[in-house]
Amino acid sequence: MVAATEARDTATTELARQGRTLLPALPALVFLFLAFVLPVWVLFLRSFTEPATGLGNYQSLVTDSVYLDVLVNTFFVATAVTISTLLLAFPIAWFLVIVPSRVARMVFAVILLSMWTNLLVRTYAWLVLLQDTGAINQFLMYLGLTSAPVPLVNNMVGVIIGMTYIMLPFIVLPIHATMSTLDPALMQAASIAGAKARTIFFRILLPLTLPGISAGCIMVFVMSLGYYITPALLGGVRDMMIAQLVAELIQKFLNWGLGSAAAFILLFITLAIYFAYVRLVGLVRPT
Amino acid sequence: MNSSTGSGGTLDAGVPQGSQPARSMAANLLSIRNLSKHYGDFRAVDNVSLDVRRGELMTFLGPSGSGKTTTLNMVAGFDTPTAGEILIDNQDISRVIPSRRNIGMVFQRYTLFPHMTVAENVGFPLMVRRVAKPQIAERVTRVLKLIRLESFGDRRPSQLSGGQQQRVALARALIYEPRLLLMDEPLGALDKRLREEIQLEIRRIHHQLDVTIIYVTHDQEEALRLSDRIAVFDNGRIAQIGAARELYDQPANAFVGAFLGNSNFLTGKIATANGGRYQVTLKDGSSIEAPARLALAPEQPVSVMFRPEKAILQSVSETSGFTNRVVGRITENVFLGDSATYEVRTASGELVTVKQPFGPSETKTRTMDEEIAVSWPHDCVHIFPIDR
Amino acid sequence: MLLTLQRMGPGRYVLYAITAIAVFYLLLPIVFIPILSFNASRWLEFPPPGWTLRWYEQLFTEEQWIGSIWNSVKVAFLVTASAIVLALPAAFVLVRGKFLGKTALNAFFASPMIVPVVIIAVALYGFALQWGMAGTLFAFVISHLILALPFAIISIGSSLQTFDIAYEKSAMICGASRVQALLHVTLPSIRPGIIAGALFAFLISWDEVVLAIFMATPSLQTLPVKIWVTLRTDLSPVIAAASSLLIGMSVLLLGISALIKRTRK
Repeated sequence: MVAATEARDTATTELARQGRTLLPALPALVFLFLAFVLPVWVLFLRSFTEPATGLGNYQSLVTDSVYLDVLVNTFFVATAVTISTLLLAFPIAWFLVIVPSRVARMVFAVILLSMWTNLLVRTYAWLVLLQDTGAINQFLMYLGLTSAPVPLVNNMVGVIIGMTYIMLPFIVLPIHATMSTLDPALMQAASIAGAKARTIFFRILLPLTLPGISAGCIMVFVMSLGYYITPALLGGVRDMMIAQLVAELIQKFLNWGLGSAAAFILLFITLAIYFAYVRLVGLVRPT
Repeated sequence: MNSSTGSGGTLDAGVPQGSQPARSMAANLLSIRNLSKHYGDFRAVDNVSLDVRRGELMTFLGPSGSGKTTTLNMVAGFDTPTAGEILIDNQDISRVIPSRRNIGMVFQRYTLFPHMTVAENVGFPLMVRRVAKPQIAERVTRVLKLIRLESFGDRRPSQLSGGQQQRVALARALIYEPRLLLMDEPLGALDKRLREEIQLEIRRIHHQLDVTIIYVTHDQEEALRLSDRIAVFDNGRIAQIGAARELYDQPANAFVGAFLGNSNFLTGKIATANGGRYQVTLKDGSSIEAPARLALAPEQPVSVMFRPEKAILQSVSETSGFTNRVVGRITENVFLGDSATYEVRTASGELVTVKQPFGPSETKTRTMDEEIAVSWPHDCVHIFPIDR
Repeated sequence: MLLTLQRMGPGRYVLYAITAIAVFYLLLPIVFIPILSFNASRWLEFPPPGWTLRWYEQLFTEEQWIGSIWNSVKVAFLVTASAIVLALPAAFVLVRGKFLGKTALNAFFASPMIVPVVIIAVALYGFALQWGMAGTLFAFVISHLILALPFAIISIGSSLQTFDIAYEKSAMICGASRVQALLHVTLPSIRPGIIAGALFAFLISWDEVVLAIFMATPSLQTLPVKIWVTLRTDLSPVIAAASSLLIGMSVLLLGISALIKRTRK
């Protein structure tokens, strides 16, 4: 009896202590709750209540072919962007590991500068560069590779070029982080043991870099799914992605129910992929 | 305070010592009473009691995890005791926050504030006590002189060597004349030569300032070199407290005997007791004598301890020598310049180490696998009961 | 072998080539836009027929452009200040605190980085309409702060993580109170993290597009919103001038943060 009371007392004081410990984080906590959690929650509710209570919004999103096309587009672009960034990022990360640090620092500076340059500005730049009268088409025609401008913008090509550009830093950094922890002696040991360069690459370097590759790919894929600005500016009318759909439904057509339902399909896919990855591989540390 | 010791006698010879307790007070500055610290079922510190005398340098010696640092942290106020009292000048300070305890502390990592100069670091304790700026400057100069770094005041800690940094940390702990100075393995990060140099420095400052110091270390040589008294910690308890010589010559238990200096341990059991001596039968059948310091019954299994330098080697045929004697073969033979160390395996398979100094008369070296007798006087033997 | 430059063999030239192309690809827009902003052609012809400062003149004199720049500056400063005020104590809790659900709290503070921005934008848009906050400075600050806060917390938290608590302990044993130890020892030691957090917060706010588009009204726009709105109607070269201003700000802030990193070493 007494022991039980005592145990409860220490439990209460322990709870009080934990509460006091948390106190300094309270303002940030309250802020995020009011400004972030609450609005998102209200939006979530609206997807079930507007215009009528029920799952109607979700039903029309997964049955109407117009919306299904948007989903397909979204996954297509995210996949294409992930592949193209990976093909570029792996050699870059490898380069950064083997070159003298002075050179690596310069390349890093370029990567960071591109990453921290305004998203809209970068997209705008590609819009100007890729347009029919833009520098790239002028250059292609000057070389005589084409006689008429190649349509590079207002279509899927433009979206993928622009998004690859924007996502590249997010995959180079994790691959580089993993690769730079590898001991060059491992490769030497494999080589002494008689392995050819090809074998060493596929049996040792690639498997050991896999954690970084998977982290980078997931990051790029998930971020691409929810991108708005770049596809909106560089894509054509038929290349709409889900984030655009959300924005347009709500801002242009004031269709809050359908828009918020689309938003939550996007959020659900994002979180599902993220949590699946965390369960399989562990937490992704943002760099 | 005695100011006739000269300019360096006290840090603050010119300033009235209002807050300093008078010398006539109790001889013990710090008293620890039944102190315990439990983490769940683990007893980091288990019912420790000890007294530190005013002006003494006491070492807490023990292997890592023996509770010495936890005890020190409770004295400093960084850990709260599970039970027991810590008294300074007969006042319980268990509930006083660290900054109000007026204790100085030097950490293993120097913890000099990297963004402050040496002078700012040393003056920091006075700054937080709101001492006037000119007075701070004056006292900083004086204490920097004490540690012989008077020209380093404007440097940053990163511009100093490890040894210099630790001396500055010492100066920062001394400037406010704490009643007690705690040092937590302060030389652990330094190499051997530097360590010995600063050990001398600490001894000098200790004598010069008459400050009471508790010094934590796991290095027995350091403890022997520095301490007035040593408290040996083992598994959260105090195994023995005493002056270095006392601990070395009269270890209270096998742990102290083994931890401080080198020792031989042979197992045996008490045969008979008479006239203040025990006859002990060793595992190999030989019989030895030991002074009866503890009351032990016949048949009690014991551990027989003696120091390698107290024994001599003899040919088996020689009969002169000391009362106690075992026979074995030399299995190891290490030449150390001023001495040689031999390892002898007895018939029972136990190993005995003998350290043979090369004095003016002793020049012989022994060869491997030679059959040999180890002999030592009975009054150098310590016996400790082994639990059955 | 494969990780040592000298022994890579001719394969390394492939890496050089790809990296060179990638660096060109990454630099192209950042270099191209500032050059284009001096282009005399109204239609951004390439190569430019001549050079002019007209677009900058327009940017800094036209009421709508200069007004949007000022709004961006105001919002960014308010966001930076609030982010640090909120993040500093929160970072202490996340790094030093011992409590149940610490991992969960960490994840919660990082969650605005995971949720697609467009979702946060429409959610806030709904709130802003309901409470009549659309087009107010307050709405901009609140929305940008959601994205800036995680960066500030991570930045301060990581420098707090590397700060050895023994410094604080030694300050306290020297007689410093908790507050004194915090002010004189801990805060100066983690200052690089605080400054980096502030720079990130500023840049995030200064650059934010999606949230800003939803918070803006024609009467109150930030610079990226003004660019966005203009962009949807024509490709006026003033956009290039405004974009150059944004690029310049990124270069400046990244330069400062690199400088701080160097002095820290």
